[in-house]
Amino acid sequence: MLKDRRLRYLGRSLLVVVAAVGLLVSQASAQGERLVRLTFYYPVGVAGPLARVVDGMVQEFNAEHPFIEVVPVYSGDYDPTMMKVQTAVRGGNPPDIAVVEISEFPTLLAMGAIIPLDDYIAQHPGYIDAFFPAFLDNSQFEGQVWGIPFQRSTPVLYWNKAAFAEVGLDPESPPTTWTELADYAQRLTTRTGTDVTRWGVTISGGWNDWLFEGFVRQSGGQLIDFHGQEVKFNSPEAVEALEFWVELMQGLKVGPPHSTWASTPPDFVAGRTAMLYHSTGIMTFLKSSADFPFGAAFMPANVTYGAAVGGGNFFIFKDIPQENQDAAWTFIHWITSPEKASYWSAASGYVAVRADAYELAEMQELVTEHPEYLVARDQLAFGHGKMMAPVYQRVREILKSALDDAQAGLVSPRVALDRAQEEMERTLRSWIQTR
Amino acid sequence: MRTVNQRISPYLYLIPSLILLVAFTYYPILSSVYISLHEWNLFTPEPKFVGFENYTILFGDPLFWRVARNTLVYVAVTIPITMAMALIMAILLNERLGWLRNAYRVAAFYPTMIPMAAAAMLWVWLLNPGIGLINHYLASFGVPRIEWLYNMDWALPAIMMTAIWKNFGYFMLIYLAGLQNLPGELYEAASLEGAGFLHKVRLITLPLLAPTTVFVVVVGIITSFNVFDLVHLMTQGGPGNRTNVLVYYIYQHAFRFADYGMGSALTVVFVVMILAVILVLMRLLERRTHYEV
Repeated sequence: MLKDRRLRYLGRSLLVVVAAVGLLVSQASAQGERLVRLTFYYPVGVAGPLARVVDGMVQEFNAEHPFIEVVPVYSGDYDPTMMKVQTAVRGGNPPDIAVVEISEFPTLLAMGAIIPLDDYIAQHPGYIDAFFPAFLDNSQFEGQVWGIPFQRSTPVLYWNKAAFAEVGLDPESPPTTWTELADYAQRLTTRTGTDVTRWGVTISGGWNDWLFEGFVRQSGGQLIDFHGQEVKFNSPEAVEALEFWVELMQGLKVGPPHSTWASTPPDFVAGRTAMLYHSTGIMTFLKSSADFPFGAAFMPANVTYGAAVGGGNFFIFKDIPQENQDAAWTFIHWITSPEKASYWSAASGYVAVRADAYELAEMQELVTEHPEYLVARDQLAFGHGKMMAPVYQRVREILKSALDDAQAGLVSPRVALDRAQEEMERTLRSWIQTR
Repeated sequence: MRTVNQRISPYLYLIPSLILLVAFTYYPILSSVYISLHEWNLFTPEPKFVGFENYTILFGDPLFWRVARNTLVYVAVTIPITMAMALIMAILLNERLGWLRNAYRVAAFYPTMIPMAAAAMLWVWLLNPGIGLINHYLASFGVPRIEWLYNMDWALPAIMMTAIWKNFGYFMLIYLAGLQNLPGELYEAASLEGAGFLHKVRLITLPLLAPTTVFVVVVGIITSFNVFDLVHLMTQGGPGNRTNVLVYYIYQHAFRFADYGMGSALTVVFVVMILAVILVLMRLLERRTHYEV
């Protein structure tokens, strides 16, 4: 009997080995359950020691689940992570789970790299409904859900209260409209001669495409309509948004035309800029580093408040054994529970992805003490899915390059966006044609 | 029997390096040429033959020309400065300076020993416009603040500065080795004739170092054309592609945009370009170089 069972297990192990060459599947354990080992690629998109937090959560999961071992693989920030995923999938050796930047979703779909999660979601009634709807915009395609929100954010406006007080502005009232923003920024900019010693407002470079999308939303427009398969880079709303940027940077000269994503949080901390557009994900870093009081606010409105959500979603990959996919789901379901979501939010400053996480006692305590953590969540009422399209990395480069040129004052906003639109239509012609 | 042996044995000895060269150099080059004639990207998962279309698109793209220009500017600026600094330092450090000589040699060579990633991050901080040391010191000389890596005009010079600082020690070492081989009697003779230090440098040292210089130029060109790590770590090609260089552009197409056809076409253009530059330079330099003393 025992021998029989062993033989059967041996047979099954062999099958698995044949089916998934190169995948490490361990031998039968004492109870006869097999240990499933999962590779988990994760990026860290913002400053701070978040890798340690992820590792800690994974260890906790592994301790609670004796038959699953998740092996976390830190894969750099978002762009290198997508590159690693792409290469691994092409090479026929996909990870089991990965957190990928949300706009890469169409690329993963086009590669046939991921699986829809509806069957798993159906096992847990009410699970998916707990997530903020704006966070699910970048997960859905043809009625199915393919990604689960994890490290999610929106950009917010940080302001230095000490600098506000210094120039006679009310330290407790951040600008709420574009006009106020421009006005405050002028008052906050300090110069010795022509040399700027403190910028009024810094719109961070590096992911300026993402911040720009927020400004377009604030004007009531949209850059890419994914489901309608349409690109609208040179819409009047987009031109208006870019003209406002150029006015701040070249006209009024109250903001640096260019910067990098990683260097602007230290700039804010060092008092080099009085206001900063950046991800809510840097909140915890700012808290631990700034020696002056600061606040976080909605991005100021033009015709409306508006933001494009950002961050990373969980995906489960195709062409891995069924038991790995099942185990991957167990992990994702565990780590997006209200308790874990609130822990992750507090440790990072990311928005807790589900509304019920905010009802937990520890979360309540945190937000009473630091109401800034609620800003990004409340801004979600004006949040939209982030623009996405296949070959998103290319899309991003095209937009960034147009923005950079216009921000430098080299071309007019209209010309820059017209050119970008043209290039987008060329790059995505086969996608646009299938509309 | 002996003659057959003699004829075959050289080829036998060549086999190991031939295998490596074929596997990692010749085959990839040929396969790049082949892939470059195909459309092969996210939308076309199976390679489709398109002739020279990738090249037509490439040469019609203003961004490609900007990237090519950035690369040439980088090569044309970094190599002469690096070489001049390396040569001057080598000649000075070859003089008798007592125990200071070794201290200086170590100081000049030490940037070369730092890992590239660490060096790049170090300079990102040094060059930070607000809190960086470089602007701090420049300010004490009354130089207005420069935005360095944030600025479209200054970003590439900032990367070139880092590269020169990082690389000149290596070339200095090669020049030092070259200097040690120069025959002392020529200098003695020159001294007897009453030649000064500068005379000796111009009439003896420089001509005799010509073979070393050829080597330095060729190696320098190859490393300069291949600049990638500094760009990737310091600016990711930005702002507005002002620091995008050919190898980084290839990386973007092949790995980030998953456009293998275009990435291969770029690779072919790159290989042709680097070979052409080296051929022209070798011709020019060899005409003036004498390998025997």
